[in-house]
Amino acid sequence: MPYAVIRFSVLAVMAVAVLAPLSLVGYQSFLSAPFFDSMARFTLDAYRFVFSESDFWTAFGTTLIVAGGMTVIALPLGALLAFLMVRTDLPGRAWLEPMILIPLFVSAVVLAFGYVVALGPVGIISTHVKAVIGFLPWNIYSLTSLVVIAGLAHVPHVYLYTAAALRGLASDMEEAARVAGAGPWQVAFHVSLPMVMPSMLFAGVLVFFLGFELFGLPLVLGDPQGLLVLTTYLYKLTNKLGVPSYQLMAVVVVIIVAVTAPLVYMQRVLLKQAQRYVSVRGKGLKQAPLPLGPWRYVALAGILLWFAITVIVPIAGITLRSFVVSWGEGVKLMEVLTLDHYRELFEYPNIIRGILNTLGIGVIGGAVAVVCYTAIALSIHRWQSGWTRVVDYLAMAPRAMPGLVAGLAMLWVFLFFKPLSPLKATLFSVWLAYTIVWLAYGMRLISGTLLQVGPELEESARTIGATPLRTQLDVTVPLIRYGFIASWLLIFLIFVREYSTGVYLLGPGTEVIGSLLVSLWGTGAVDLVSALSVVNVLMIAFGLAVALRLGVRLHG
Amino acid sequence: MRKFSMLAAALLFSFSASAQTPSGYPADYSKIVDAAKKEAKLIVYATTDAVAAGPLIKDFEALYPGISVEYSDLNSTEVYNRFISESAAGSTADVIWSSAMDLQVKLVADGKALTYASPEIPNLPKWAVWKNEAYGTTHEPIAFVYNKRIVPPGDVPQTHADLAKLLAAKPDFYKGKVTAYDPERSGVGFLFVNEDVKNWPDAWGLFREFGKTGARLYTSAGAMMERVGSGEHLIGYGIFGSYALGRAKKDPGIGIVLPKDYTLVTSRVAFISKQAKNPNAAKLFLDYILSKRGQTIIANQALLYSLRDDVDGPASVKAVRDEVGDKARPVAIGPDLLKGLDQMNRLAFLKKWQAAMKGQ
Amino acid sequence: MADLTVEKLGVRLGDNEILRGVSMSVPRGKVVAFLGPSGSGKTTLLRAVAGLEKPHSGAIRIGDRALYDAASGIDLPAEERGLGLVFQSYALWPHRTVFDNVAYGLKLRGVTGDERKKRVEAALAQIGLSHLAARYPHQLSGGQQQRVALARALVYEPPVILLDEPLSNLDAKLREEARAWLRQLIVSLNLSALCVTHDQIEAMAIADKIVLLNGGVIEQEGTPTQLYSAPRTLFAAEFMGSNNRLVGVSTGSGKLKVGDAILEGVARGEVAAGAPAVGVIRLERMRVAEAAGPNRIRMELKTQMYLGERFELVFALDKMLVRAYAEREISPGAHYVEFPKDALWIFPQE
Repeated sequence: MPYAVIRFSVLAVMAVAVLAPLSLVGYQSFLSAPFFDSMARFTLDAYRFVFSESDFWTAFGTTLIVAGGMTVIALPLGALLAFLMVRTDLPGRAWLEPMILIPLFVSAVVLAFGYVVALGPVGIISTHVKAVIGFLPWNIYSLTSLVVIAGLAHVPHVYLYTAAALRGLASDMEEAARVAGAGPWQVAFHVSLPMVMPSMLFAGVLVFFLGFELFGLPLVLGDPQGLLVLTTYLYKLTNKLGVPSYQLMAVVVVIIVAVTAPLVYMQRVLLKQAQRYVSVRGKGLKQAPLPLGPWRYVALAGILLWFAITVIVPIAGITLRSFVVSWGEGVKLMEVLTLDHYRELFEYPNIIRGILNTLGIGVIGGAVAVVCYTAIALSIHRWQSGWTRVVDYLAMAPRAMPGLVAGLAMLWVFLFFKPLSPLKATLFSVWLAYTIVWLAYGMRLISGTLLQVGPELEESARTIGATPLRTQLDVTVPLIRYGFIASWLLIFLIFVREYSTGVYLLGPGTEVIGSLLVSLWGTGAVDLVSALSVVNVLMIAFGLAVALRLGVRLHG
Repeated sequence: MRKFSMLAAALLFSFSASAQTPSGYPADYSKIVDAAKKEAKLIVYATTDAVAAGPLIKDFEALYPGISVEYSDLNSTEVYNRFISESAAGSTADVIWSSAMDLQVKLVADGKALTYASPEIPNLPKWAVWKNEAYGTTHEPIAFVYNKRIVPPGDVPQTHADLAKLLAAKPDFYKGKVTAYDPERSGVGFLFVNEDVKNWPDAWGLFREFGKTGARLYTSAGAMMERVGSGEHLIGYGIFGSYALGRAKKDPGIGIVLPKDYTLVTSRVAFISKQAKNPNAAKLFLDYILSKRGQTIIANQALLYSLRDDVDGPASVKAVRDEVGDKARPVAIGPDLLKGLDQMNRLAFLKKWQAAMKGQ
Repeated sequence: MADLTVEKLGVRLGDNEILRGVSMSVPRGKVVAFLGPSGSGKTTLLRAVAGLEKPHSGAIRIGDRALYDAASGIDLPAEERGLGLVFQSYALWPHRTVFDNVAYGLKLRGVTGDERKKRVEAALAQIGLSHLAARYPHQLSGGQQQRVALARALVYEPPVILLDEPLSNLDAKLREEARAWLRQLIVSLNLSALCVTHDQIEAMAIADKIVLLNGGVIEQEGTPTQLYSAPRTLFAAEFMGSNNRLVGVSTGSGKLKVGDAILEGVARGEVAAGAPAVGVIRLERMRVAEAAGPNRIRMELKTQMYLGERFELVFALDKMLVRAYAEREISPGAHYVEFPKDALWIFPQE
């Protein structure tokens, strides 16, 4: 089969998989009723309704504040962290590295609930603070807290991109500055960081983008004060008219996509700039870390503080909750300790199935997803064509849909696309939804790995007489075997933590921990939620440990 | 050997089928049982969590061996979404069992339900049956819960009016300490406050007190119970009695009050889908949860509050009566519930609610 | 400006001894080249002087000022040494214009306003790139980038400028021009410079003094002429120039037996009779004759190559191959190849 045919079939499958749910949502936004209702007709009423809603504008404004605020927090902290980790003699860098990335792999609902238990008005830490200073200096449910927590939780995103760029930076650029008379901090602010600025901005745009699809944190932390962002506004909309109004939800999703699409464009521009800088590289001499002197301990303390706030506090909170019957003001924790929640967890076949399914979808599904991402990445690898841009946009598009809506759209696809219907009640549906939602992430992992293969290695295979397909199978793929394992592990971690996408596909046989958590949270089974969260965190920790054991670098 | 086992199966089959026609059921009920056994499967979408429904399902499967129940617990919006999407696509669950009474009634009104006169109808209150399609299965009082460790015993409100007075009298102590469903974000919440207004002329006065004391409004009972348990909030308003009871069993710090002036009673509404693939199994299941046997489990194990007068237990209609006498106010299953779903009515009501939340 | 002196410098990377006690100096206003094969430690030496590698012993001084002194624990960081360094890759900062690249060192030294502008412009004028001040590095050619890198290192008038393979990233033609230009610029500005190169021609062209490094120690140091015409060791002799190497046995001082022939030459080092010895002779000193004579060997012409200004000839006898130059083409067949006595150095086998 000619290579072009394979390429286009792969891309066509991908396009259909992405566009089917997305266009369903777009189509739905112009209707007066569910698209499958015979009463549905074309109208702009849904847009009119949403635009005339004061709640929509409030939610939109809040979303902008949250997205902007968390970017402002995450960007400098992430960049500084990257500089400290990559370029200085900060103590303990080897074990800090995996730690820093943990927030990426912990489910936001788990974190959010952990915060309520630990730092809520009567949280475990809060009560102690109140006992000491007489009042509680923070309000975990305020917009400020949401912004701060979301900002801190997204530091690893900025870190990843900035650190990768800093590592790619030729050290002679910095040495030149040092010889010219610049001290370590001047080197950082005059040379290193400005040179990775495009990468930092790229990460900043990404964080801003992620701000638009933030769901778990505002769902739990915004609830008490009725704080709405666009994704949680979707919930409110459902109820506004008494019955779920898909057209209104669809409108909100269309708006989110419309707002975030230019961000994807910006990212592309920035990425190009970043590459221009990196292409000017000298020989990769050993990089001597910049000595920080006594500052190294200050920096280390800062990082540990960040880690404590972002990871330890919430996870300790939820872990504690899973071992007690009740907590809060006037409760002596020693008297309420119990293992019942875990015992209960294992009494329910659907939860057991959920845990097994989650493992299956992470391990097997993750591997299959990596194969799919690889097929797509290979088909645009070193392809000089405007189509690659289209593929990039397609890959990003599903990310603009909140997971919950993506899941609902996938349900529609499975229901109304008859050949797929028999698979609806199987894990395949959940797998497909996950694979599509995480397409952009997976593609970036794989294409990053692919780019590490020098073009001359592939070109030499071509000149010897290998077809493009043969070259990829015989040269490119074997060379990045190790990258596959790394990608697989990362996708495993992502799939295990995913929570909102599977909710509408949840049914006997398709339970996964994420959707069970959301569902159990809704029915009020907080005991089970906390115990299951801990199980989830343990699975992620195990995955991380394996990853580190194998020496996987946790970034692309 | 093989012959023998087939024979044994046949014997067992005929024996159990004939033995299972309960007294008072039509003589040809065994036909439904036989047909259901052929279907061998039953799909239920429900809002009752699998934890609570577990004993019911186990008992049902024991009663009708050979029928396996696929039970999905979802929140009420998801139940509704999945049901209408799937029924438009042609295949969905057999039984829909949800606490969102208004949405259930809407689905029935939209002609999504199979008409089936359950033989249990004579044992059910009038309000619980509509058009021989929608059936109330429980009698759940809507309760106040409070934190026993922190709320002074003298403060514990026994009526809705008490609560309003308490908030007016101690606004500082209860500032931000009362929690309720948010009618703007939660369908159940809307239903509750809507019924309050119907049952109690001064309801808006109470809601204004909520507004003045900064009541915290949530979308999930779990979030509310958790925070009342922890003392972050002190009084939970409008909590399903079943949740409250389940939680209080585990956490002795939670107190429950069924208000003595009037106690709203809601019901988990079940109907059989018109498109049911397993209509006979669905009929058996519906009859089963309405039967004395099923209701006894509801009253004693599932703790969802049984509906029938002839069933005893900690979560039964009798238990509610013991506490509030004749003040129980069941929400009738019927077209009245559709008024709340009317867009104009709803938005007008919510506007009034928003004003109340500002203390106006 | 004072001399740069390096005393017994030792640098270790991991377990690897890169420099084993190197001493040398750059006299004021002179250009010194570090020459050596890759792995000889020349770049490490340069980077150690710049403060980019950490030595473990010895000292580096400019005049009386210690940049590094193991004995007294002095180790100035790179930015306090005040040297200028031109990187092999040029390391121009891609986010700054040419002007800003050059101005940065002045900015760090607190030179402001007009003064800074004047000096940057002067530096750019020196390298002939005034018209490109507003460009970004990626808009320049390789040769232009190299000049900017030089200007950036010169502008704050460091006592010594360090050049790391300054010409290696240029293509061959441009390299010769740049070599001349660089030498001329350094001399006209009376700069002290230290230049690392693996190219002996470049070293000889640019430097007043060459330090030949081998395996972390100095093999020989001296003027280009000394190194070229009076190598002290076999390594030095072979590293410089294009040579024929004759492996044989000594038959007494200044005598080498190669195959059946005995050649006379200049003895370099003690070689006992009967011990293996190596003769080295520069190609341009070879002669081709048509008759037998002293120090001549009859050899078969294998091939001749036209190089433009001359021919290169390859002769063979059994397994021994030697090369020679000739003004014009010669006839095929056997010739007498002469190894003039004063041009043939005889070293002990190492």
